[in-house]
Amino acid sequence: MSKPLALIIEDDYDLATIFEAALQAADFETEVIRAGDAALKRLETVTPSMVVLDLHLPQVIGTDILDHIRVEPRLTETRVMVTTSDARLAETVQDQADLVLIKPISFSQLRDMAMRLR
Amino acid sequence: MERLNRLLTISSADPDDQRRSWLLNILLLSVATFAILAILSMIAATIIGGTGGTGGGRLIIGSLIMLAGVGVLLLINRYGAGWIASSIFLLLLTVLFGFTDEPQQVADGRSLFLFAIPIIMASVILRPYASFIIAGLSSLVIALVAISIQYVPNVPAMLGFFAIAVVSWLSARSLEHALAELRAINRELDQRVEQRTRDLAAALSREQAEASKNQAILEGIADGVIVFNEERKAIVTNPAMAQLIARPMWKITGADIETLMAEVSPDDKETIIELLGNETFQDTPSIKFEWGDKTLSVSMAPVRAAPDVVTGTVAVFRDFTREAEIERMKSAFVSMVSHDLRTPLGAIMGYTDMLEQAVYGPLTKKQMDVMARINANTSRLLNMVNNLLDQAQIEAGKLTFHIGQFAPRELLTEVDSVMSILAQAKGLELICEVDAGVPDKLSGDPQRLHQIVVNLVSNALKFTEQGKVGVKIYNYDPERWAIDVSDTGPGIPPEAQTYIFEAFRQVEGDQVNSHSGFGLGLSIVKQLTTLMGGEVKLESEVGRGSTFTVVMPLSPIQEETN
Repeated sequence: MSKPLALIIEDDYDLATIFEAALQAADFETEVIRAGDAALKRLETVTPSMVVLDLHLPQVIGTDILDHIRVEPRLTETRVMVTTSDARLAETVQDQADLVLIKPISFSQLRDMAMRLR
Repeated sequence: MERLNRLLTISSADPDDQRRSWLLNILLLSVATFAILAILSMIAATIIGGTGGTGGGRLIIGSLIMLAGVGVLLLINRYGAGWIASSIFLLLLTVLFGFTDEPQQVADGRSLFLFAIPIIMASVILRPYASFIIAGLSSLVIALVAISIQYVPNVPAMLGFFAIAVVSWLSARSLEHALAELRAINRELDQRVEQRTRDLAAALSREQAEASKNQAILEGIADGVIVFNEERKAIVTNPAMAQLIARPMWKITGADIETLMAEVSPDDKETIIELLGNETFQDTPSIKFEWGDKTLSVSMAPVRAAPDVVTGTVAVFRDFTREAEIERMKSAFVSMVSHDLRTPLGAIMGYTDMLEQAVYGPLTKKQMDVMARINANTSRLLNMVNNLLDQAQIEAGKLTFHIGQFAPRELLTEVDSVMSILAQAKGLELICEVDAGVPDKLSGDPQRLHQIVVNLVSNALKFTEQGKVGVKIYNYDPERWAIDVSDTGPGIPPEAQTYIFEAFRQVEGDQVNSHSGFGLGLSIVKQLTTLMGGEVKLESEVGRGSTFTVVMPLSPIQEETN
């Protein structure tokens, strides 16, 4: 049986690398997308079981992607971990996300959380 | 009439003299008129009847002499001294009366009454007492006339003359006194009027000076000013106000506040109108609001006619557009920095964590130690960045609080898990405890409380070299709970206790040279606590250690933002 897919939507190269490593360590298949519009496009074809979503993204902002995931019936099972450095913004998406993590997020913290949500 | 009056009036320094000369002139003119009439009637009688003869001729000559005498007296009265003219006139009149009738009539008969005329006249045209002199003279005249015809002088008539003189003297004297008093009253009145006029003029010019000064201030002031009356209509404004809202002054005055502030949002307008209606104006803060494309602040003060009579309100408007713009820019900058500084720090921490977790293969013990040091330093850097950002947000008034329920025991467990590593690294003991009486759930912003405790504990750990750091949550009093953070560090000298809560300040002295940092930790603790309605207390003794106590209300302030 193949591993569940985790979509990592993050524009920062280093953070994307760390998040990817953490989710791989949590036994996910990973795919990194660096822009909001590309993420929306990709979500039309794949059904990830986990999305690690940055809120500050180029083109389409993270909250729009979150809204899209929450209204798309195909993605009802998808768990969303929101990552942001803005504590105020984090507060506003608390209800929609499965988990909100305030940056900086450590490798082991994300790995452990991902394992728990799997 | 006016001309005649001018002719009769002879100006003199003494008003009494002037009056007497005037009266003499009238008498002289009357005599002259009488003489002219006599001459004319004699001429007429001669022409009509052809009679008259020497008697008529003598009368004409007498009248002409009388006219000449009158002329001389008029001249003396005008150019010489009034009293001489009067004296001569009275003297002549008295003597003349001695010859106007038959001697026995003058001495003892019908002509006696004639002498009353000069006696009375003397009191008004010469002096009051002159009546006695003329009475004496009259007595002498009738005595001489009586003697000349071998009559016994009429003593009762003489006494009568003196009686008339007494009455004349009394009347004239009373009249002169009354006039003198009247003149004194007039003088005083004049002085008073003059003084009042001077005072009024001075007051007027003072008021004008005051008014022009106020006008100059009003026109020169950089702030916009509108004075509203009791009906909330603008009655006074200034050029700065006109410029501020780009409307001519005449369009502002007369307008009521509703029309004037049509462009202001209903909420702000309501607040301002409410403030206008507030007559006490005590501790009323200035309000910032948008008016057109400007951000203005307004502060108000009552206009009082008397201490407890408010007749209107002065509203002073200040342009805050630029400040508001800077504030917006600062906010945007803080938000940008908040993201851009944390992101690379997050990457450093993530990579170190990955290396420590052996994602890229196992590390040697030495490498593990280095990783731990990198992690600790990055945490410190992150904490400093967070403190700087919080300080900026507090200053901008942008810090938000999320008041909710939290478990005090959980709070301390989290603090312990973060801070115990640092304590162990320094060989210190970290003891976290919650008193048994403390409820399982308390109200507050858990994230900010966590920040407060972490700041206090890292401070304690930073300055303590040996011993322990204790954290304790307990019931402070029926309305408040408290967190104590105590250490066995060097203590804070009394003089430093006053300033260590200020931003960017640390205890000055040798012992702290080795401790870096911005000096923001305690400042943020203090500000966060105050914003949440609590207070920070400090007890410290040099050489024994310090205890910081954060006292928080059990029912916290419900406001979302500060």
